[in-house]
Amino acid sequence: MSVPTQPYRRSFGDMSERALAVWLLLPAGLLLGFVALYPVVRLIYTSFFQYQLTQGPEASFIGLANYAAALEDARFWNAFRNTALIVLVTVPGALVVGLGLALLANLPFRVKWPVRLGLLLPWALPLVFVGLIFQWFFDSQYGVVNDWIVRLGGERQFWLFRPDLAFWAICFTIIWKTSSFVALILLAGLQTIPKELYEAAEVDGASRWQVFWRITLPLLTPAILVAMIFRTITAFQTFDIPYAMTKGGPGNATETLAMYVRVTSIENLNFGYGSALAVLLFLVSMAITVIYLRYIRGADD
Amino acid sequence: MKINNPRIWLWIAAAIVVLNGFFPALWIFLTSIKGEAELTRIPITYWPDNPTLQNYVQAFREQPLARYFLNSLIVAGFSTLLCVSVASLAAYALARLHVPRRNLILSLLVGVSMFPVASLMVPLYQTFNELGLRNNYLALILPHAALSLPVATLTLVSFFAGIPRDLESAAMVDGSTRLGALWHVVVPLAAPGVFTAAILAFVNSWDEFLLASTLLPAKAMRTLPVGIQLYQGEYVFPWPLISAALVVALVPVALVIALFQERVVGGLTQGGVKG
Repeated sequence: MSVPTQPYRRSFGDMSERALAVWLLLPAGLLLGFVALYPVVRLIYTSFFQYQLTQGPEASFIGLANYAAALEDARFWNAFRNTALIVLVTVPGALVVGLGLALLANLPFRVKWPVRLGLLLPWALPLVFVGLIFQWFFDSQYGVVNDWIVRLGGERQFWLFRPDLAFWAICFTIIWKTSSFVALILLAGLQTIPKELYEAAEVDGASRWQVFWRITLPLLTPAILVAMIFRTITAFQTFDIPYAMTKGGPGNATETLAMYVRVTSIENLNFGYGSALAVLLFLVSMAITVIYLRYIRGADD
Repeated sequence: MKINNPRIWLWIAAAIVVLNGFFPALWIFLTSIKGEAELTRIPITYWPDNPTLQNYVQAFREQPLARYFLNSLIVAGFSTLLCVSVASLAAYALARLHVPRRNLILSLLVGVSMFPVASLMVPLYQTFNELGLRNNYLALILPHAALSLPVATLTLVSFFAGIPRDLESAAMVDGSTRLGALWHVVVPLAAPGVFTAAILAFVNSWDEFLLASTLLPAKAMRTLPVGIQLYQGEYVFPWPLISAALVVALVPVALVIALFQERVVGGLTQGGVKG
């Protein structure tokens, strides 16, 4: 490595700290501006227009009419309901399963890597692949799930062809996929609990149940809240797993908000209405994010 | 056998976690080495009767799987590179320099990382269409780099903050410029952090489906998740091909997390525990 040459040194050496900071932050600002902030502005703008490419290239300003239409749209409310139900089922589900996995993984194993990989693998598998693999699990003819049911003396089920069963199969899959991430966060939280507390509890003759409720759970609450908020935000954006498993079917029984946005804007090229739906999805995510930011700010103080 | 023996409980606990994590991947692998005749037999077999690589041959012969793989590699590789370079510069400024409204910037980064991809998809589709960049790698590389940028920056800020300032000052006293000190002192010490951020960005890009299917829809441009997902509509019984293709597609992520597991866990949980 050569020592920086003279002109190089002068040009940066004379720069004020503030100017240097601006130059260093500029690339990040440009990238996020072009691919995240500008699109959001454009999205909101487009949502005020009647603009469907299949009906011609002109866009006409219609104010809030797209939003009014969304509130009257049964398919929107169906997608909203499905998304809300997925949040209500899979967030607590992933927290409970994730807590269980974290408690198991926190035991004093001599060799740690198999357990760690067991938690990492579900996180690393692409969502679409998880959807495909579980679609194969739930296959009505050759799936593992029906094979177990039949072996236990039950009836074959048409998992992904009945609205209620398809919903539960999707929730099961989402919980499997997301609980390992929750477990990793909770495991890191468990490892920050001082060992002395457990030793003291043992001296006092506390039962395992008491130790869990009085020490583990209260001290784990911050990590649980973080995991819960993260999961809630991503659960509202659910797309890949139901898309890979059912394409939103049967009918629209498992269609989520993100799926309806995609059908409307990309498949039907109705950008105006699709943008309004996307804004609604955006607002929900941002509302939860603001709560999250408030929470971590509070935790910092 | 004594049921109270704690070692037995340890084995059971480990088995639960390992089986839960590995079973789906293991099952898709077992599926991929069974012939079509065996896959359509009832009751289903668990261990393959007659292991065969036929599905893999088919997967590469009937579909441009190698091309999908290359596309994924190009997009994930370049978006990771872009993301980590841009994030390193920003993180250094945020960790070390006097930046006005620093907390606002950090909050904005967290906010951007929560943007729903489905919402960004609509304007990105319009924009890249107008620029004539749809079905161009750039159309996916830029958004993927941007999507991983906030988390990469936040990860690196805490890494840079952990490097003693004295080391840097010493280098500057020795006649090095600030950028010289950055290059010779800070960069080597921050390398593990940069590497962690790179792994997370790579895995995120490798996994992403929604934007990939919208911005690179042409058959020759599809990434692995997009290409393999579409087999369902093209075959009556797609599982021999899907299972083999999935195993091929999973090799890189499996390798990355197996080799760098501690680093990945550290990178993932750092944000969560510290907030």
